[in-house]
Amino acid sequence: MPSRIEITLKPEMLDAEGLALSRKARDYFGIEVDSVRTVHLLTIDADLTEAQCERVRSDVFTNPVTQISSLRPLAVEADWIIWVGFRPGVRDNAGATAVEAMEDLLGITFGPREAAYTSKRYCLKGPRLCRPEVEKIASELLANDIIQQWMIFDAKDWDPAQGVGFIIPKVKLDHTPTVSVLSIDSDETLQRLSVERNLALNPNDIPIIRNYFLNPAVKAQRKAVGLDEPTDVELEYISQARSDHCNHNTFRGLFNYADLSSGERDTINSLFKTCIEAPTLALKEKKSWVVSVLWDNAGVGRFDDDTYYTITGETHNSPSNMEAYGGAITGIVGIYRDPMGTGLGSRLIMGSYGFCVGHRDYDGDLKPHLHPRRLLDGVIEGVRDGGNKSGIPTPCGQVLFDDGYMGKCLVYVTALGIMPARVKGAPSEQKTILPGDLVVMCGGRVGKDGIHGVTASSETFSEHTPAGHVQIGDPYTQKKMQDFLLEARDEGLIRFITDNGGGGLSSSIGESARFSNGCRIELEKVPLKYDGLDQWEIWVSESQERMTVAIAPENEARFFQLSTQHAVESTVIGRYTDTGKLHITYNGTPCAYVDLDLLTAGFPQWVFDAEWRSPEERGLFEPVIGEPQDHKQLLLDMLARPNICSKAWISRQYDHEVQGTSVIKPLVGVGRDVNSDAAVLRPVLGSRRGLAFSQALLPFYSRIDAYHMTACTIDEAVRRLIAVGGDPEHIGGVDNFCWPTIQYDPVKNPDGRFKAAQLVRSCRALRDMCLAYEIPLLSGKDSMYVDGHLAGRYGETHKVSALESLQFSASSVIADIERCVALDPKLAGDRVYVIGWTGDELGGSEYYDLFEAVGCNVPQVDPAAFLKSYRALHRAIQEQLVASVHGVYRGGLGVHLALTAMAGGIGLEVDLAAVPVRTPLRSDRLLYSESAGRFIVTVASERREAFESLFQGLPVACVGQVTASPVLNIRRGGEPVLELTLPALKKAWQSTFGDLI
Amino acid sequence: MTRPKALVLTGYGLNCDMETAYAFEQAGAEAQRVHINALIDGSVSLDPFQIMAFIGGFSWGDDHGAGVVQAVRMKTKIGDRLLRFIEQGNLVIGICNGFQCLVNLGLLPGLDGDYTRRSVALTYNDCGNFRDDWVFLAKEKQSPCVFTKGIDRIELPIRHGEGKFFTDPHTFSQLQAQRQIVLRYALPDGGAAKGAFPFNPNGSLDDVAGICDPTGRVFGLMPHPEAYNHWTNHPDWTRLKEEIQRGKSAPPEDVTPGVRMFKNAVDYLVG
Repeated sequence: MPSRIEITLKPEMLDAEGLALSRKARDYFGIEVDSVRTVHLLTIDADLTEAQCERVRSDVFTNPVTQISSLRPLAVEADWIIWVGFRPGVRDNAGATAVEAMEDLLGITFGPREAAYTSKRYCLKGPRLCRPEVEKIASELLANDIIQQWMIFDAKDWDPAQGVGFIIPKVKLDHTPTVSVLSIDSDETLQRLSVERNLALNPNDIPIIRNYFLNPAVKAQRKAVGLDEPTDVELEYISQARSDHCNHNTFRGLFNYADLSSGERDTINSLFKTCIEAPTLALKEKKSWVVSVLWDNAGVGRFDDDTYYTITGETHNSPSNMEAYGGAITGIVGIYRDPMGTGLGSRLIMGSYGFCVGHRDYDGDLKPHLHPRRLLDGVIEGVRDGGNKSGIPTPCGQVLFDDGYMGKCLVYVTALGIMPARVKGAPSEQKTILPGDLVVMCGGRVGKDGIHGVTASSETFSEHTPAGHVQIGDPYTQKKMQDFLLEARDEGLIRFITDNGGGGLSSSIGESARFSNGCRIELEKVPLKYDGLDQWEIWVSESQERMTVAIAPENEARFFQLSTQHAVESTVIGRYTDTGKLHITYNGTPCAYVDLDLLTAGFPQWVFDAEWRSPEERGLFEPVIGEPQDHKQLLLDMLARPNICSKAWISRQYDHEVQGTSVIKPLVGVGRDVNSDAAVLRPVLGSRRGLAFSQALLPFYSRIDAYHMTACTIDEAVRRLIAVGGDPEHIGGVDNFCWPTIQYDPVKNPDGRFKAAQLVRSCRALRDMCLAYEIPLLSGKDSMYVDGHLAGRYGETHKVSALESLQFSASSVIADIERCVALDPKLAGDRVYVIGWTGDELGGSEYYDLFEAVGCNVPQVDPAAFLKSYRALHRAIQEQLVASVHGVYRGGLGVHLALTAMAGGIGLEVDLAAVPVRTPLRSDRLLYSESAGRFIVTVASERREAFESLFQGLPVACVGQVTASPVLNIRRGGEPVLELTLPALKKAWQSTFGDLI
Repeated sequence: MTRPKALVLTGYGLNCDMETAYAFEQAGAEAQRVHINALIDGSVSLDPFQIMAFIGGFSWGDDHGAGVVQAVRMKTKIGDRLLRFIEQGNLVIGICNGFQCLVNLGLLPGLDGDYTRRSVALTYNDCGNFRDDWVFLAKEKQSPCVFTKGIDRIELPIRHGEGKFFTDPHTFSQLQAQRQIVLRYALPDGGAAKGAFPFNPNGSLDDVAGICDPTGRVFGLMPHPEAYNHWTNHPDWTRLKEEIQRGKSAPPEDVTPGVRMFKNAVDYLVG
C-alpha cells in the first residue's frame, strides 16, 4: 500500500522556487502568474504503517521551523495545479536518499521492489490564466517529456481528498532475459539485422565480422563452449568497440585532401597519428614533466617531485540537446570519472565548462527540441549541481551564442585531478592486470540507461517504459565512490582502475582485459536496478557512476570492508584471464566467446574526400565599412553583445572555492566581476606551487578558415596562461573537437568535403602550433555529427550545422603562486603598455559580426615571434615588474581596455597612435582588430626601465597611463576618440543579462 | 598540553575535509578525517578528541533539506555520544552543510539547555540560486563564541543554496538577548547589510551568518573560514601584494583571518 507525504513552506515563507517560476513565465512568455507555491511530494511504495509514515514525515521530511506537511494532500490555494514527476527508470536521486533516511530512522530495510519517488506540484494563482498558458509553463519551463510526466488540474477538477493520486513510476519489464543468435548467412542478412537491432555496424566492417565467425578454427573453439553463430552480446561488443565514439574512426581515417585553389594534393593517413600522436611523442622526449600520455583515461603531467596532475576533456552534446539538465550533469560527473580512472586513480581538483547554444532571445521560425534559453538554463544547472555536489571547484568556462548551435548544442566538460607520484612505492601512472585478478564493478547499478543513445528516443513511451536513454547524473553516489576508491588506492588495494562511460562494461572490461589478455565474466552477478534486462543490455548499458577495478584476490576482503564502510556497492563479476578470449556467461549460458585481438584485426579504415577552396574563391571579401563617427556608442554596443558581455550570473552559481585552493578566481578586480584570463589553484595546500588552467574557444574564425581558427584558439589559451604567470616551458594541451558531419553525401551532406578539408586544416594547425609552442597534447576528444534537422514554419525541416569548433585547454605549473598576477590595474600613475602588433585582422571579428559581415583578413599566429614576447613577459612577471596583465582577445583592444579599466575601478588614458603597428590603421581597426599575440600590461613608473629592457627589439609600447578619475579616455595623438565613465561602461557590459542571478 | 585533537567528519557527500583538516593543522591542532560510519560502527571513538568539525559539502546530496538526512543518521545512531561530547566541555564547529546539520540535530542553538530541538532553520536563498561570493561579516562584540575571539570584522567566502537563516520571533529574541548571533553579513565598511543583496547573499533574518550555543563552545556558520587558509585565497590579494611592494600596505599576518577561528579553538583548549 503506497503512502504519500506532501510538504510545503509555511505560508509566511518566501517561496524562491515559485518566485523564479513566475518570473520566467513573465520574462520568457509574457504570462502573468500572481503567485506560485511549490509542494513537494514523496510517494513511498513500501509497506510502512501509518505510524511509521507519520514518524518519517515529522522527523525527516518536515522542517518544523519553515515547513508544514501532511500524509493527505495539503490545502494550498490555487487556480491551477501542475504536477511534475519522473518517468519510470529515470534516476530519482532524492527518492534514493529518502529511502536511506527512512531506513536509518526506522531501522528497517526496503525490499528490492520497494522504493520512494519524489515529485512536485506547483500551485499557481492567477485568475486570468488559461489552460494553454498553464500547459506552456508545464511543458516549456517545468517538465521535459523525455524524462518527466506531468498533469494539469484546474481548481474545479482538483479533488482535495485525492490530490494527484498515487503515481508510482516503477519499471516493470515482463521479460525473461534471452541471448539471441544472429544469422550471418550473408553480408546482406547481417546488414539487415544490424539495422533492425540498432547495432549500427558499419557496412564495411560486416565482411570482416563474418569472416571471423565463419573461420573453421574459431567455429571449433566456439562449439566447445556451446556457441555457433554470433550472439547479440558479441555483436553489440563489436559494434560498441568499432563505434566512432570509442574507436575514433574519423581521426584515424584516410583523408584525400585537395586544395582546389592552389592545386595542392595530400593524402593523410590518420589525423590522430600525424597531427596529435607524432608531435606529442616528440615533445614528450623533450619535456621531462610529461609523465603519461595517449593511452590512459587522462594525461599525466608532473606537478612536483611527489605529485602528478591529470587532465582530460570531452563533450556531452547529444544528450544535453535532448535533456539539457540531465545531459550536462551526466557530462560533468562523467568526465570526473576519467581522472579517477587514470593511473591508479587521482583525486579531482577542478572542472570547467564550455557551452555553445543558439541565441537566448532567438525568435525565428526554426523549432529546436529545446529553445536555446531553456537549453542554456538547463546546462548551467546541470554542470552546477554536478560540480558543486561533487565538491570540485569550477573556476573556468566559456559561453558562446551562435544560431549554428541550434541544430545541436555543445557542452564541453574538462576535469583535472591530482595523485601521488608513487603509491606504496610503485609509480602511480602505471597499472596492469594479472591473470586471476578479480573484475570488480563499483558504484551504481545497471539499468537500461544510455543503451543505444538517442536512437531509443524514437521509441514509443508506455506507462512503464524506462526512459533510460537520457540519464541524470548522481554526484552523491559518485562522491562516495571516489572517497572509497582513494582510500583503497592509498592502501595499495587497486591493481587497475578504469571508468564505465560510453559502451559501459563492454568498453571498460573489453579494454582492460587486454592487459591480462582475457577475462571470464559472469553477467548474472552484475547488480541491476530492475529485473528483465537482456544480457546484451547489461553488457552495454551506460548506467552512470560506475568504475571497473581489478584487484588481487588477496585484497578482496579489505577492499570490500572499505567499500561497506563507505556505503558503496561493489561486486565481483568475474576474473581476468590470459586465454586471449572475452568469455561471458549468464547463469552458465554462454553469451560471448571472442578473441580480444579481433578488434585490431584488419577492419577497414574510413575514407574521406576533403576539398578546400580559399575564402576568396568561396566569395568572401573584406566589407567596405567607413570610419565610424560615434566611437562612444560603438564601444558600448560592443560591450553589450552576448558573446562579449558579463556572464557573472553563471560563474557565481559555480563553487570555485571548495577545497580551499583558489588563487586566481574566475571573477577578479575591485568589483570582483570581470573574468580573469585563467584560473590558478594551489592543489597541494601546504605548497606554494600552483596549477594554472586556461581555455579558449573561437569558432567564429572557422567561417574563414579552420586552420586559423585553430591557431588563434591555441594562441589564446597560451596567452591566457602566460597572463596569470604560467610558465611557457610547461604548457600541456587538451584538444576537444566538435565538428559537423564530414562524410560527403550529394543529398544529405553536399558540403561534406569542405567540412572534411576544414578538419584537415584544423589538425594541421594543431600540429603546427603544438610543435611551435611545445605543447604536448595530454589528452583530447572528438565529437562529430554536430548537425540537427529543425522544423520550420511550414513543417519543412532544415539542416543546421554547427561552426567547426575546437575548445583548447592549457595547463601550466607555477613555481610560486605569490608571483601570479591578475588583470586589474592597481594604482594611478602606472604606465599602460601594449605588447604585440595590431594588424588589419578583422576577418571573423566581433566588430564585423556587429555589421553581419565576415571578411577575409582572419588573424594570423606567428608562434616563433610571439614566443619571444611571451618569454619576456613571463620574466617580467617572475621579476614582479608588472602590476597587471591581460590578454587582448575577442573584441580587440577597445573591448579589453574597457575590461581592464572596469577591473581596476580606475581610469585609463590611452593614445592609439602609440599602439605598435606595422602599417598605419584607422581607429576602429586599431580598437577592434583581433590580432593574436597581444597583451595589455600596467607597470609602476619606477619599474619602466627594467620592464622595457626585457623587451628589446620586441613589439611593445607605452600607450598611456592609469588615472585616478574613473574614466576610459582614448585619443589618437591630439584627437579625442572616446571618453566614457566606468559606470557607463559597466552598465553596457552588464545590462544584457544583468537581471539574472 | 599536547596538541588538541580535531575530528573532521567525512563521507556521504561531505567535501571540505582536506582544507578543514589543513586549517586545523595550521592552527596547531592534530586533525583526523573520520568517516561518519567509522564513528557509528565504533572503529573510531570520539573520546580522544576535543574538537569536532561538521564540515561543508552536500551530505546525501542536500536532498530533503540540506543537512537533514545527516542529522537523522547521526541523531539516530550516535545522538547520545554527541550530547556527551558537548557536555564534557569540548568544542564543535559546523561550517555550511555542517551548520545546517547542527541546526537539524538541535545542537544549535541549544536554548534552555536543550540540544535536541530544531528551533532555527537554514532554508533556500531568497535569490533562488546557489551562490559563490566573498562576504563581509561583522561580529557581535559580546558574543561568548570561542571561535571568534579577537575578531571584529572578517571577510570569508560563502557557497550555498540554502543559507537563509530563519526562526520565530521568540527564539530570535532569545538568541539576541544571549548574544548567540555571532556573525552578521555586513557592508564593506562594516555597517549592517540590512538584507541588501549581495552583501546579505541569501535573505537571512537580521543578516545572521553564524550562531553559537549559550556556552559559546558550539558554533555554526554559513561562510567557509577553512577556504581562507592562505592569503592568496582572498579576492584582493594581488592588489595587496602590489601595495605591499610599494610600501602602501603592511604584509599579511602569518595566520589568515580564516585560520584564526581554528586557532582560537586551539588556544581555548590549550589555555
